[in-house]
Amino acid sequence: MENKLAIRQFIERLLAQKGDRQPFRDSDSLILSGRLQSVDAVEVVVFLEEQWSIDFTQIGFDHNQIDSVDAILALIESVGASK
Amino acid sequence: MGYGCFLPQPDAWMLVTVSIALITFLPKLRWRLVALATLSAIVLQPGVPYSLVAVVFGLLLFWCARRWPQSWFGKRPVAMLLAGFTLTIVASSAVPRTSALFTPAWVVVDIFAKYVWFIAYALTDRSASPQADLPLEAGAFQPFWGSTGVPFPKGAAYLRRIEARDADQLAVTQLKGVKLLAWALLLMVFERLWMFFFHTYLHIPLASAALDMSVRRTPYPWYVCWESQVLSFFEFLLQLSIFGHQFIAGCRVAGFNALRNTCRPLSSTTIIDFFNRFYFYFKELLVEFFFYPAFFRYFRKHRRLRVVVATFAAATFGNMFYHFTRDYWMIPVYGTVNACLNFQVFAFYCVVLGAALSISQIRRRSTPRSGFFQGRLLPASGVVLFYCLLDVFGSTQRNYPLSEHFRFLGHLFGINV
Repeated sequence: MENKLAIRQFIERLLAQKGDRQPFRDSDSLILSGRLQSVDAVEVVVFLEEQWSIDFTQIGFDHNQIDSVDAILALIESVGASK
Repeated sequence: MGYGCFLPQPDAWMLVTVSIALITFLPKLRWRLVALATLSAIVLQPGVPYSLVAVVFGLLLFWCARRWPQSWFGKRPVAMLLAGFTLTIVASSAVPRTSALFTPAWVVVDIFAKYVWFIAYALTDRSASPQADLPLEAGAFQPFWGSTGVPFPKGAAYLRRIEARDADQLAVTQLKGVKLLAWALLLMVFERLWMFFFHTYLHIPLASAALDMSVRRTPYPWYVCWESQVLSFFEFLLQLSIFGHQFIAGCRVAGFNALRNTCRPLSSTTIIDFFNRFYFYFKELLVEFFFYPAFFRYFRKHRRLRVVVATFAAATFGNMFYHFTRDYWMIPVYGTVNACLNFQVFAFYCVVLGAALSISQIRRRSTPRSGFFQGRLLPASGVVLFYCLLDVFGSTQRNYPLSEHFRFLGHLFGINV
């Protein structure tokens, strides 16, 4: 729950930086739908590296892994990362 | 158009129409029909056997990368592909013009150049989720809805993610496609009116003509050069929008909900935002094959430096690599040394672009400025002015040295050397 809240807050802030204040569900696509761009994906990657020590060079990187809040949560759980 | 476009040939309209009709009524066979239509479109183009060899070669590489993921090639297939492509160009440039191998060598480069980025996307699909297979990959190699050397829109795995899942989604996607096609047609008419009004009726010279006159030391007045330069910038945007919309409209009508290639670029308030909006799939290519590899590999402990290095890898090195290899024909025509020297202007363009994009990313504001004037108009005008001026060096015609482009830039500000 705490993880989800942190991710949501981060995504909301990222979208707000782009002037996007539309609501989004946890399952909503963010990158494929065009709401977040590759540059924003980099921000998400850095956030995950810093907060959960996820090493993308080990697990490989794919936009699908960070396309929604649910996908990010699944990624964190799959690598067993802890804050 | 000078972008290496592969629009469906006029005599292929029947193929495109029939394919889209079949895809609409047989959505379960969508991928097979896309592959069939793409291969049929290849057959209708000149140089069929060569193109088919390139497709088979690409599929073979894809299969090898999936079959042996731990091999030397399987670990870094795209880097190996691009290195192989570079070596092919270098080897071909070493073949003397009088040799019997001269023409075949450059034919190989020509075919390779046409498909290299499609093969690169296929290789990245080897571990993608959902996984693509050989027929899917074949359908994404120069797809029948048209493309440039830049794959529209990326590879087969991406297409799998954005394809319509049911009848409702298909209807919405197709309607969006038709709307985009109508918009492209409107823009096409507008572009013709624009060209007639500004260049025929008002006699404002094209930017290339203004540069030519500057080189001949009989420049147009500075304000005319500004007019040419500003018009040239908007004409480039129009051309890019028209062909990008055509490709994406075809893709959407075929049932894939792809994002637009050009999407409201003039609303961009930062340099990075504009770069993202004006040629989306080229930017995606640079990000996928140059930015991410550098970003995940180097300076991982230094956040800003990491972004700067990755941005230069993409916007400077990747951009130069793409354009130099796209315009490989300059090597047999002008010779290797001259082809490299002629590239100096575009190389300068790429360096400035890399620096500007790096700064733009680092300076991203946590909260955008509010108000129409401060928050929108002023930054958007600054972005347009920057790209307008950068466009002085954006020419890939490569007729004149860098000094002539600087002379023209100086003339715009009343500095005549």
